[in-house]
Amino acid sequence: MTAIDSRVAASAHVERRRRLGPVDVLQRCIGYALIVVLALFCLVPFAWVVFSAVDADAGATVQWPALSFENFVRFFTASGTPLLLVNSLIIAISSTALNLVLGIAGGYALSRFAFRGRRFFMFSILLIRVIPAPATIVALYLIMVNLGLANTLHGLIIVQAVSGLPVTLWLMKGTVDAVPMELEEAAWTDGNTRLQGARRIVLPLMGPGLGAAAMLMFMGSWGDFLTPLVLLQNQELYPLAIGLFRAFSERNIVDWGLLAASAVVYVLPPAVLYMLVRKNLLKSSLGGALKG
Amino acid sequence: MKRKYVVAAFTATVVTAAGLTGCSAGDATSGDGTDGPVTISILESKQTNIDAISKEIPGFEAAMKEQGKDIKVDLIADVLTDEQVKTKLTQQLIAGQAPDVLDIGENMAIAWSSAGYLEPLDSYLDQWEGWEHYYPAVKEAMTRQDGQVYNLPSGAGVLNLFYRKDVLEQLGVDTTQPKTWDDLISRLEKVKAATGGTPIVIPAGTAWGGGTWGEGFQPLLGGTDTGYYDSETATWDLDTPGWLAVFELYAELVQKGLMPVQDLQNPNPWEPTKYVKFPAGDIQVSAQGTWGWKFDWGPDGATPIDGLTEKVSTWQWPGLRDGDQPYGWSSTGGGYAISADSDKKAAAFEFIKYLSSGKPLAEQLVASGAASARDDLDDVAPYSGEPQLLQAGEDLSNSVFVVTGDGADQISQAVATATELILSGQADGKQAYEAFKKDATDLLGPSLVKQ
Amino acid sequence: MTSIIDVPAAVQTAEQPPAPRRRRARTWPLVLLLLGPSAVLIVLFIVLPAVYGIWLSLTNTQLTGFAARNPKFVGFDNYAYLLGSTDFLGSLGQTGTFLFWSAIVGQTVLGMVAAILLSRPWIRGKGFFGAALLMPMVVPEVVASLTWASVLATSPEGTLNRLTAVFGSEPTAWLQTAPMLAIILVNIWRGLAFAMIMFQAALEDVPAELIEAARVDGASAVQVFRHVTLPLIRGPVFLYLLLTTISTVGVFGLVYFLTRGGPGGQTRIAAIYIYERALQFSQIGIGSAASIILLVIVVVLGFTYVRLAKVEV
Repeated sequence: MTAIDSRVAASAHVERRRRLGPVDVLQRCIGYALIVVLALFCLVPFAWVVFSAVDADAGATVQWPALSFENFVRFFTASGTPLLLVNSLIIAISSTALNLVLGIAGGYALSRFAFRGRRFFMFSILLIRVIPAPATIVALYLIMVNLGLANTLHGLIIVQAVSGLPVTLWLMKGTVDAVPMELEEAAWTDGNTRLQGARRIVLPLMGPGLGAAAMLMFMGSWGDFLTPLVLLQNQELYPLAIGLFRAFSERNIVDWGLLAASAVVYVLPPAVLYMLVRKNLLKSSLGGALKG
Repeated sequence: MKRKYVVAAFTATVVTAAGLTGCSAGDATSGDGTDGPVTISILESKQTNIDAISKEIPGFEAAMKEQGKDIKVDLIADVLTDEQVKTKLTQQLIAGQAPDVLDIGENMAIAWSSAGYLEPLDSYLDQWEGWEHYYPAVKEAMTRQDGQVYNLPSGAGVLNLFYRKDVLEQLGVDTTQPKTWDDLISRLEKVKAATGGTPIVIPAGTAWGGGTWGEGFQPLLGGTDTGYYDSETATWDLDTPGWLAVFELYAELVQKGLMPVQDLQNPNPWEPTKYVKFPAGDIQVSAQGTWGWKFDWGPDGATPIDGLTEKVSTWQWPGLRDGDQPYGWSSTGGGYAISADSDKKAAAFEFIKYLSSGKPLAEQLVASGAASARDDLDDVAPYSGEPQLLQAGEDLSNSVFVVTGDGADQISQAVATATELILSGQADGKQAYEAFKKDATDLLGPSLVKQ
Repeated sequence: MTSIIDVPAAVQTAEQPPAPRRRRARTWPLVLLLLGPSAVLIVLFIVLPAVYGIWLSLTNTQLTGFAARNPKFVGFDNYAYLLGSTDFLGSLGQTGTFLFWSAIVGQTVLGMVAAILLSRPWIRGKGFFGAALLMPMVVPEVVASLTWASVLATSPEGTLNRLTAVFGSEPTAWLQTAPMLAIILVNIWRGLAFAMIMFQAALEDVPAELIEAARVDGASAVQVFRHVTLPLIRGPVFLYLLLTTISTVGVFGLVYFLTRGGPGGQTRIAAIYIYERALQFSQIGIGSAASIILLVIVVVLGFTYVRLAKVEV
């Protein structure tokens, strides 16, 4: 961040020298107004979720809540709910881990070795994901059945990890690209093998990229409901994404409070992960960090 | 050194592949059916059914023990929406991974039996004396295109009009059975003049999903014109006059402001209408089925109505065109089926038999609010203590039904879209009918449309 | 998987020059080891189903109903049917409108605005604002749809209705009267953080000296942006357009849970059309063909973006 900081500091420094004319003040007011409006635009819709979750009498619209944590209590004591949460965590964490391991290795290879067909590989894996799930899910299910992976947690984990692989590979390649080759070469002259050099030098510098990839993969797995719906039969294996729909199915009436509470719990783990990874996500390009 | 990597890579891939194939899928205890310990699986996706079935399982397992058979039941309680169940089960049926016993609705029964995913039950039924007690009308409704029966109804229902007797009496509106729709509409207009609201709700539009066809349009259509499906040729006759008559009825109801169009266009339209306004008395007439006595408005239902039996009563559907008589529409299309790939069919049928006889059947019917499809259940408690259900059973014997086949899903979609046009004011009856015809012909494809 | 893909600025920084040629022969085994497992798995779980999908598009396979018993190879019949079907073409048109206004215009413009604002040194609370703008992207589709369902609710208590009531108008049924506008709004809400992140990174790569130089020469902020900044971030902008095109075309749950493609099919974007055909009617052949057509369109758009990005540097 140092290079950016100094650049920012420099321009701020320069700006401070000029006194703030009326035009500047106006610009700043407009700027603040805009960003506040945008922030409100993004946050206000969540009001319903927050209010209804703590509302004993929740409806489909925003209303002042009759404060109570009853919905959360009901959510956690409803049969099997804690299990759903645990399943979701297991699935999301495992698939993210698998995805990252494969992604780091693959990304390194894609970055450092210019082999024939590299370009084609990179673009095609991205584009092939345009085909929406309903068209491919039949085939996927059949393949899973034939591999004996249907209705298993690890089967689902593998499928999810692989689904996120195209994006992770792009990310990892870009991250490794930004690590100068000289550093690795220096490690080789120190007597490291290729892989040792990669592990010691490149890996630690991949932090921000890893954070972004982990975030995306985790969120993708966490929010996925079509794949678990089709691939899992045993409802003890269901993730929370499907459990969220249960509030819809009870006797044709939607239990809004329960739904909102489920939504809040549902959003927490990704939000926590985001806060851990936040600094990395909003960071500028890795190249900038190293230029200093 | 490089070769080491290659070897390692190959070994790793091979080991992984072996490991993957080695891991087993969900288990399926093998067994032919009734010899040796057997576990059959049944899928239920509605909480009421889950509760009802889980109550019956111990009794069944005990009864089987007495007969020297060791059959256990694994209840897969998967609370999902109908759409999700359909998606999921279709995948499983294709791959041969479905539960042994399925409890499904009419549309799915038709679609899956045609595709060959369900086991024909005729040979089992013929050996069962219970089958002789089923009403002939029900038996006919259960027979599919190929002349075979694929599912056993868990209960039958009659669809007609439920109305708020108390509110209508208070408003001084006639509560005798309306003979024709003209009669009913003029009564509804009187109610509207007094209350300013929308007195009647009949499923319509796309938000109501399959219910628009199943609980609204089809009953109306079948009561005036039973020729819309030709079993001989297994095609749909889109030109028969009944279609236009029903579309024009919808248009009239909407144009006169008698239907809650706003609510009908929003997601989950049954909520503000059947679950809020009808109990509150703001909607006075609702298309409904027998299950309304329990599932919707009963004491354990979604929105209980106090004093239900005094406040609410039922009318048959009025006659639509000249010469039509009032009628009830029977719905018996769904029920228990056996997956064609199951390797425990005999055991599965034992369970179905058990659920469809005597006390277990009576208990299920009362729990979900359905009439008996058998003629020998009227004295069996707790069914015997339910006058509304017994009455429905009687209505069943002289109610209308039309057996349909392949393409019901597409018709349902086309009807929903066409009635949506009426709701949004974009089309009158005739225009909606024209749009429907075009849409349905397109969706069904030439092989299913009568030429 | 949700369809949101994010590629941070790291991707667009100059690629390291490829390893010197002499290494090639000796590095193949290493490539296999590192990339092999990923490639195999991708082929197995992504490519194969996709290929099967292509095969299905050439048949009249149905999953249920009588036609399920004997699927036949029908060549390009499905494609001919689709390209002549007003329903499908209408759906493509809606997708185009949806894509253009929400992604290409809405997300890009607002994302750019947000990125610029958040890079101004005089803005306080960057962390808070950044997090606020990021929230819509983080929540799962179902939750996003639900929150907007309450905002757009028809009753007077719907959030938007309450807002317009302040200005004295009647409660409106937003999802009935302006469904396309509604889903465009929701998608902009959903994706602007993605644009913001990408553009923030891109903006930081614009050398401050150039901007300073232009300022010193007397250029206004707008002129600086148009003539200095914009050309320099051309690459990332087009990369972003490509990525958001891919993800917007695949948006399904967000719209489906809100409108189900209605009313009367007015918001039946391509993904919903495919869902209806493939899963609701079990017309897998048609559904797959529609997916392939969609894929072709996206590829064409992709090439267009790449072309446009390369023109003049």
